[in-house]
This record gives sequence, C-alpha cells and structure tokens, in this order.
Amino acid sequence: MGADLGEEKDERLAALAAGGDRGAFDALVTRHRQAVYRLCWSATGNAADADDAAQETFVRVYRSLPSYDPARPFGPWLRKIAWNCGLSVRRAGNAGVPRVAEDDAPEAVDPAPDPEEAAAGNEERRRVAGAMAGLPAELRMVMVLRAVEGLSYGEIALAAGIPAGTVMSRLSRARKRLLAALGGRSGGGS
Amino acid sequence: MDCRETQSQLTAFHDGELPAADRARVEEHLRGCPECHLLLADLARADQSAGVPDPGPAYWDRFNARLMDRVEREADGPRVAVLRPKHGWMRQQLRYLLPAAAAAALVVVVVRYGGMHPVAPTPTVPPAVSEPAAPPALANERFATVTREERDRMADRSLPAGIEEASRDRAAAPAAVSVPSPPPMTFPRAPDGQGWPSAGAGRDATGSVAPAAGSPPLTAADEMPSGMQAERKKMGGGASPVEPQLAAKTESASGMRIAKDQSAEAPPAVSLGKTRSKAGPPPIASASPRAASPCELARTLAERERIREAEVAQRECLAGDLSAPSREKGLVFLAELLDRQARFAEADAVITEVDRQFPKSRPLDLYRRHRPMVQKQPAAVPVTR
Repeated sequence: MGADLGEEKDERLAALAAGGDRGAFDALVTRHRQAVYRLCWSATGNAADADDAAQETFVRVYRSLPSYDPARPFGPWLRKIAWNCGLSVRRAGNAGVPRVAEDDAPEAVDPAPDPEEAAAGNEERRRVAGAMAGLPAELRMVMVLRAVEGLSYGEIALAAGIPAGTVMSRLSRARKRLLAALGGRSGGGS
Repeated sequence: MDCRETQSQLTAFHDGELPAADRARVEEHLRGCPECHLLLADLARADQSAGVPDPGPAYWDRFNARLMDRVEREADGPRVAVLRPKHGWMRQQLRYLLPAAAAAALVVVVVRYGGMHPVAPTPTVPPAVSEPAAPPALANERFATVTREERDRMADRSLPAGIEEASRDRAAAPAAVSVPSPPPMTFPRAPDGQGWPSAGAGRDATGSVAPAAGSPPLTAADEMPSGMQAERKKMGGGASPVEPQLAAKTESASGMRIAKDQSAEAPPAVSLGKTRSKAGPPPIASASPRAASPCELARTLAERERIREAEVAQRECLAGDLSAPSREKGLVFLAELLDRQARFAEADAVITEVDRQFPKSRPLDLYRRHRPMVQKQPAAVPVTR
C-alpha cells in the first residue's frame, strides 16, 4: 500500500487519512511538508516559528480531515491552513518582527552542524535569506508562492484571499524591494 | 507599445499571466528595447533570490516523526490523560472511598448472610477493595487509561453544563471515584509521553481555521479546583506514599525519564512539557516538606511551574556530588528550565556544556527534539506564578 500511496492524489490520500489510514496521512505530510514549511516561513520570517507553524498546520489538518470534502482541491485548503497557522504563530510570538537569518537555522531541531554548509559560509545565501526575511509577510507570501512554488496568480489569490490584481501588485513590490535589498536595480514592471 | 506600457505589463508577462495577444506585443517591444529587457532580467533575478532557507535533510528526516508524536499526544492523548493519576487526587480519594466501599460490601455480606450462619463467612472481597493496601507501584498502574466513552459518561454524570472543558475534565475525576462498587481496576497504564494538553490545542482559539467538527480533542486540565485542593489537604495533608513513585515515572518534555529513584541524588523527574495546561499548572501534593534535596525541590517547584525557583534549586542540585548520568540529565533539565523562561541563550550554553561533558548525550538528543515546542510554550502560558 505504501508504494501506491505515493501516486495517489491528494484528495484521495486525505480521504484515506480521514478514515484512519496513518500511512496516507504520512504520505500527505511528506508530499507537502516542504511547501508548507516555506509558506509558514514566509508568514513568520524565521525558521523556529516556521517549524512550529508547519507542525501546527499538519496537526490542524489531521484534526480537520473528518470534515474535509475530497471534492474540494486539497492544495488550496492546505495552504490556507498553513498561512493561518503562520500568522497565528507570528501573532503569538514577536508580532511579525522578522528575525534575520543569522539564527535562522534549525539548530533547535537539529543542532548537529553541517560541516559543508558551515564551511561554505554561504554569505550570499544568508544575505538573500535576510532580504526575504526583511519583506513584509504579505509580500513574502506571494513571492514564495509564485517564485518558489510556481503557483498562478489565481492560485495565490485563493491562498491569500486577495484579488489576482493585488497578487500582481504585491509581486511587483516584493521584487522591487528584494532587488533593492540585494543591491540591484529596483525598477521594473508594475 | 512603448516602454511605459510594456513595463506596466512586465510582471504579468514574466509570470506568464498575460493573454496571448498582449504577450506578443510585449515580446515585440522587448526585442528592440534593451532597457526593458534588463528590467525583465531583474525580475528573474529577484525570483532567484526568493528562496526560503531549507532546514536540511536531518530536519526533514524527523519532521514526520515529530508530527506524529504530537498528533498522538494532542489528538488522542488528552482523551486518556484526564484520569491520569499524576497528582494523586484520585488516588487520595480512592484511599478513602475504596475502603468505604469495602466496608459497605462487608456490611451487605454480613447483613445478608449473617442471619444464616452462626459465624458470618469471610466475604469474598472484590479485588478493588484491597487496592488501597497495594504497593505504591501497583497503585501507579491504575486508571491511567479510560476510554473516551467512559470519560464522557463520567463527565456528563457529574458536570454542570456549559462550563469550560478544563472543568469538564476535572469533573471527570469525582465521577470516577463516586462509583460505589469499583470494578477491578485493570486499566493498563497509559504510556508516558501520551495524553497531555498541548499549546497547539490552545492555539486553535487564535487560528482562523476551525478544527474539524465533531473531532476537537478535549484538552485535559490537570489542575484541580481550589476547593478540591483544600479538601485534599484536609484529607491527606501531604503526599501519599505512592506519589514519589509516580513522580519518578514522569518524563520531561524531552520524553526522557529524568529521575529513576527518589532516594537518589538524581535530578528529579519533571514533566514540564506535560504539566502545562491552559487551565493552569497542575497542583501537586504538598511535597515541599518532603523535599529533602535540592533535586527533589527542583522537581516539586517545576511541577508547580515555579520555574525560576526550580532553576535555583536545580543549580543547587547540580552543585552537589552527582553521578555522571545524574549530572547529565540534571544539566539537560536545567536547560529545559531555562528554555521555559525564554532564556534561550543561557539554555544554549548549558546544552553546549552537556555536549562537551557528555558527547552524544541521549537525554540531550531527546530534549533537542522537543525543544522548539518547549521554547514556544512560555509565551502561551505563564511559567512562573
């Protein structure tokens, strides 16, 4: 069954999980955990809160599975929960003040240092992460959903609960701010 | 199409959201306009910088296990945790009610058969009747697990309607002990690490995503009402003999069993992560008079969520002459206490010290897995009172 689960559609897995199939739930988590984490990170701006929110997201999903309608697409439903969890964690924590990436690593979860990463220093990566962390959460969200997850304006609008036009304007603002933070040109499209 | 019009559509063009006709016009302009072409390249560069720091494979390796552990504890756990005899209240009640039930049974037997026999036969005493005399370790095995139906039934029997779920949980206990003829108590003890209220459950109230209808896990609140506490003081006056055994079996938030023996100098058992509840910290037996060592005192204070004082006691404990394993666990416990106070840097320092003194420390490894949750909880629930 486990091998088959990997090819099942989300909605089918959700239905199985709602029926008590832990394997299906595990498969759902494995499939979406990174996207959920990224979305939670975009809401919170730091790794520790993103971890908390990502875990909380799946706990809520698990609780809510019995009321989930498999006729509805799973992805937007999950993203909505993830975003709300991220915002909840942010509200409960540092009121949205993003922590920049110096401590934005999963030490609390996995303190074992990664020698390669540590050796690389990865200044550029930290700078980039800092630029993203410095964006307002709403801008981070659209950037992550578009540039990382590759969602369309319509899908982003659904997840964020905003019109598609707002998605485009937020993307434009986010890109300008990112470029400014990274020392590039900040002009560009609307 | 001029530069201004092109640039107004450049974002949508870049994102592939332009209708075909508009797209063709933008493409045509771009072919002859290096300026707009550069702007388009900038959009791509911005997207490339939009990455999210990945926590790394070790994080993902543990993600599902941590989640399932939390799901187990939050979704299933509270349903069986309600009657967990962690703080001995039920046990205290049973110490009195079970003998009373036994006496009542004896009276019934004597009255019923006494007239038939010159000498009343020794009644067959139900197993439960002898329970109060059972060794503490046996007493500890009782009533840890109760089915949801039983719990709900008991709660419904004794609860005023409309009160908070914490009160509902509290009310379950008196209902349980009010059963006049308790059946033999053969409930298996719930595994440690299961069934404690969670901060996550508390967050439901602030989240805009409603939990599933009909499936919200009930949050266990271990705190007994003040009236019960007072009554308990009157009845028991302090910790029962079995309480040290119970405390010794509790785990810390890291899931480790810290104290194995109350008589030892080992750092005491504290279930910091689990004793927390929205309704407040669970009361414990008035163990302070018995807290002969700082280690014990630290445990006692931590259970009362007097974390700052627990930390002081734990430091004093660690200043004593401890065995290596006890010191190892004690340091981890200290780190947890510091985390509880949001003193993460100090906790980090202690953890570093554990790492240095005890490479590959298993207690520390276990604690690290739960540390993010521990670090989150101080914001949700006051840790000191």
